[in-house]
Order: sequence, then structure tokens, then C-alpha cells
Amino acid sequence: MLRKRLFSDTTAAVSSERSPTSRSSTADQTGDVLIRLRGVVKRYQAAAGSGAPPFTALHGIDLDVQRGEFVAVIGKSGAGKTTLINMITGVDHVSEGEVWVDGQPLHRMSENQLCQWRGRRLGIIYQSFYLMPSLTLLQNVMLPMDLCGLYRNGSSEKRAMELLDMVELAEHAHKLPNAISGGQQQRVAIARALANDPPIIVADEPTGRLDSNTAEAIFQIFTRLVDEGKTILMVTHDRSIASRVSRTVRIADGRIISSTDAEA
Amino acid sequence: MPGTLNMPVVPQIRDCGEAPLIEMRSIVKTFKNAAGEFTALRGVTACFYEGEFVSIVGKSGSGKSTLANMITGIDHPTSGQVLIGGVDIHKMNESDMSLWRGRNLGIVFQFFQLMPTLTLLENVILPMYLTGYLDAAGREKRARELLALVGLAGFEDKLPAAVSGGQQQCAAIARALANDPPILIADEPTGNLDSRTADDVFAIFSGLMEAGKTILMVTHDAGLARRTSRTLLLSDGELINPWVAACFPELPHSQMLWLSHHLQERSLDEPRRLDGSTCGLWLFTGGTVQAHLNGTSQARPVTLQPGHFLSALELQAAGAQLILSPNGDGPASALHLDGDAFRKWLQEAPDARRTLQQAARRQYGGEQAGILQRGDQP
Repeated sequence: MLRKRLFSDTTAAVSSERSPTSRSSTADQTGDVLIRLRGVVKRYQAAAGSGAPPFTALHGIDLDVQRGEFVAVIGKSGAGKTTLINMITGVDHVSEGEVWVDGQPLHRMSENQLCQWRGRRLGIIYQSFYLMPSLTLLQNVMLPMDLCGLYRNGSSEKRAMELLDMVELAEHAHKLPNAISGGQQQRVAIARALANDPPIIVADEPTGRLDSNTAEAIFQIFTRLVDEGKTILMVTHDRSIASRVSRTVRIADGRIISSTDAEA
Repeated sequence: MPGTLNMPVVPQIRDCGEAPLIEMRSIVKTFKNAAGEFTALRGVTACFYEGEFVSIVGKSGSGKSTLANMITGIDHPTSGQVLIGGVDIHKMNESDMSLWRGRNLGIVFQFFQLMPTLTLLENVILPMYLTGYLDAAGREKRARELLALVGLAGFEDKLPAAVSGGQQQCAAIARALANDPPILIADEPTGNLDSRTADDVFAIFSGLMEAGKTILMVTHDAGLARRTSRTLLLSDGELINPWVAACFPELPHSQMLWLSHHLQERSLDEPRRLDGSTCGLWLFTGGTVQAHLNGTSQARPVTLQPGHFLSALELQAAGAQLILSPNGDGPASALHLDGDAFRKWLQEAPDARRTLQQAARRQYGGEQAGILQRGDQP
């Protein structure tokens, strides 16, 4: 939808039908498993002419994430954490294996299909926020709704304000991103990730650039979202946070070395 | 316009003719927090003209980014005005401001902030889509042209994560240009890049200036700043007089600021006789001036041009007098620090004497620097 809109004559204001979110029948195959990786291998070719062998970032990853789980993926720098995230968001493609997210076979989908699906079913949060610098906070949160056409004109602004209110930034709605702190920008990025009410949130080092107090506030927002039924997969190097999620997956040299449920 | 991101096409800045495109009038910005008040800008007045490429430099904390934020409307002044194309931008409400900004300003930051799930092409199309600029075919064509302009032809369909930091910054510049804004504001655009990539980005800016854009660039890279058409130097929230910064670059910024405060504008329309106690410090800013050493009638007069200086140090040594006269073609202008203030400065600023000697060597060339030696030459 997004791609269609960006390449069409419409401007952002043109209203669109609210099309039902397609849940393919393959969802049934995975039951309540929202993220399923099977034998995922990712190899990167060395630079042309360097003669170096390909680098293998992921060596056959198997992983299931159930609906409602809050999973932390931890590991050292270079362990393959971000590559794993990129497989699940479809920003990068597997060399071998299968990736099913929310019932969709990402490994078989085209860029266009991935883009449409991602905008509606996945909320993505990055270490460095990625807010549009020339749009206000409110406009940044409205953007995904507008691009996907999931909320009719009028309701997208209302919803964006509600989301900003949830992350306690409603009073700053009309400011530009550079006028607020890093922690506040990350809260806006969370509000934006929630814009289309996706069932799954994927976060890559969301607290990596924040001080510990601010990181704690972000973590509490995540905890609340899980309580409300969202499924969250978060890459972090913060072991203290990792101990407070429902499951911790440790990754080293492109392999999962342990998967530990939190003690009840 | 509730419930929509759509920005109707708003008129772009009109042609300003000879008037400044951007005018900052007595801008004061004070931040308040739990620890108290901090004044980031203390009465900044500056003009920027169409087609200029101006660098804004100063130490960390000197107010550079705050100054840029006053022009982009990211932040508002505590007092003072910013006029752009004759419009007082801080009188606009937030939604008018965002329409206006979308069409008139391109903004580039140190961190590129491209949308990670959109290709480079889509990232560049996005601002046009948001403002309703061009039709679909026109947007895509323009986005491809802009990416080619910044050296990214062939990378249109890559996601940001698949290209280097320098390439992401180039794409961010292409995005900033999407709506063809007349003004580009860049805050440390090369701060996150290696020096070679920084050079590439700078070359793009230079090309844009030649194409008629007005560019303001905040930077801490003195080498890049020297290559712009003009440099504004900020110290402690105030602008240093550009003549002072150009003539005495070795001075600490606090000394430059002191001189900026104490130098007074003078017009030289008739000859003036000066001696070691009345000479003080002169910085010439317009027209040309002849300096004749009195009592050495054989000596050749020295011609002083804008950017040159003259100080009492050179006269005191010889106990000489000097006559300063405009060079026939009308009055000359200068900045003057009188004799008493000059002596006070020499006493209180440990580096002043050495800096003046350095500057004299630069001005006259050679070790035997100074107006006396120069004037005595046959």
C-alpha cells in the first residue's frame, strides 16, 4: 500500500478505503507462534575482488516466539543480533531457511509484498529513532497511518495524539524532533511503531543510546504493551533488562546458545 | 486540516532582490531548567543573502546549533525576530510553520535519519508526497535526478542499511532538496563522516550554491569553513566581528569578543595625525588609506586596505607620529580602539602583543614587520 501511494498521484490527504488486514490461511500452520525461524542461514559475500570467503552471520537459527511473549535477544557485538532482527523485519533476506512472521512466509515474499505487510503488521524501533526531522512529532506518528491508509482522515490525528499521550508527550505534539531529548525521541518512535496497531513489535537496541533512567522508562512502556497483548522481540546488550523479560535468547557467533524462560 | 498530513502547495519565498533573504534581529535565547537559567544566544543580529554559502563556527556550547534552530523554527527565540523572505517566522502558528518549512527549507542533520524501511528513492519521494509537490511521475523523476546529483545513481532501490554512512548522508541531502527549497540549513552535516566523505558532501553543497541555493552550515571543521563564502564565528552566544576574526585568528575567542564589543566604527574623511598614545588600534573595513610617517618625509607612504590593521605598538617603539588620510576616492571606514582602551587591552591580555606581531608579519611579510620598517624602505 505504501509503495502504491508513494508512486501514485495522491497526496497524503487523499482518503482511502480501510482494507481489511489479510491474515493468510498459513497462519493456522503456526498456531499461536507469531515468529518462526527454521534453519535460517545468512551469508554475506566479501567485497568483489577481495578474494575473502563469504562471511556467515547466522548459522542455522531455529526460533519460535509465541503470541504475548516478551523476548530479549542478547549477545556480544558481532554475534548476529541485528542480522537476526533484519531477517524478522524482512529488511534483509535469508540465504537459506524459512522465516514466518504473523503467518506470512517472508522468505518467499517480494519487496513490494514485504513493504505492504510490514507497514501494517510490524512495529519497528531502532537504536537511533529515525524520526523525520522536518515533521512535527504528531506528523511523525501519523505518517505510518497515512501511508497505509488504515485510519480514515480525522481518525489518524486523534489516534496519533492518543499514542503521544500514552508515551506522555502529548504536550510536545507540535515540536520538531530535534527540539526534544533523545529519550523523548525514542518514546515518539515507539508511538509511531504502534500507529497501525501491529501485533508484533521488533526493537533493535532501543535503549542503546539512552541513560539508565530513560532506558527504564522505555522498558516500562514495553512491559505495559506486553500486558496489553503485544508480542515483543527486543535485541539488547543490557543484561539487567534481559533478566526481566519473559524469555532470554542468547546468541553467539551466529548461533543460539541458550533460551531461558524467566523464573515464575 | 485535522487528520491529515497533507500540506497544500504554499508559495515559496519571493525574490528578495537586494534585501537579505534571512535576517536575525537581536535574537536572545534563554533556556530554563531546574539548575537555573542558561543564555545560549545574547542578542545576535545577522543577515544572510541569496546565493551565499555561510559557515557558522564556534566551540561546543557557543550557540551554533541554537542559532540554526532559530532559523529552522525548531526552537523559538526568547526575544528578537527572524525574518525570512520578509516573513516573521516565529509569528506563524505551528501548522503554518510546518507548511512553510516543507516548501522553503531543506534541513540536514549530523545523523541522517532516513526511514529504515523505505528505499533511498522512496525516502526522497516522501517529502514531495507530503507536500503534494509534482505529480507521481514527476516525483519519481525528480527523486532519481536528485539521487544522481549526489552520486547515488544505481542505489535508488537500496535500503539505507545497505549503503555506507556517507551515502546515507548524501541521500539525506537529496531528500532535503526534494521540494526544491531555496534555503538549505545543515547542522554538522559532516560531523559523522570521515574526511574524504566529508569532502564529497562539501562538494555537493558547493555545487548547490552555484545553482543558486542559499546554504547555512553549522560546522566545527575549520578547514571546511574556510572554503565557504563567509564564516560567522560565535563565542558564548555572541557573534564575533568578522573583521576581528579575519585579522587576528590566533586570539582566544574571549579576546575577539572583547575587541568586538570595544571597537567603534569610524569614518575617515580627512587626514588624522596620530602618535603612540592616541593611535590605539585600527582595523580598516572600507576604502583605502595612506599612512605617512611624519618627520621621515623621504619614506614611501604605506597603503592600507580593508582587512589591514594598524596599532600603536608600531609607533610607540620609534616615538614617531603618523598621518592617516583617505586615498582620494572618498572617505574610508574603520573600526577603532582608542589609545586608553588599547593600553588596557595590552596590559590585561597576555597574548595580545604576540598576536599583533604575528598579524603584522602576515600583513607586511617578512620578519622586519611593522609600518616603520616598511615605510623606511627606499
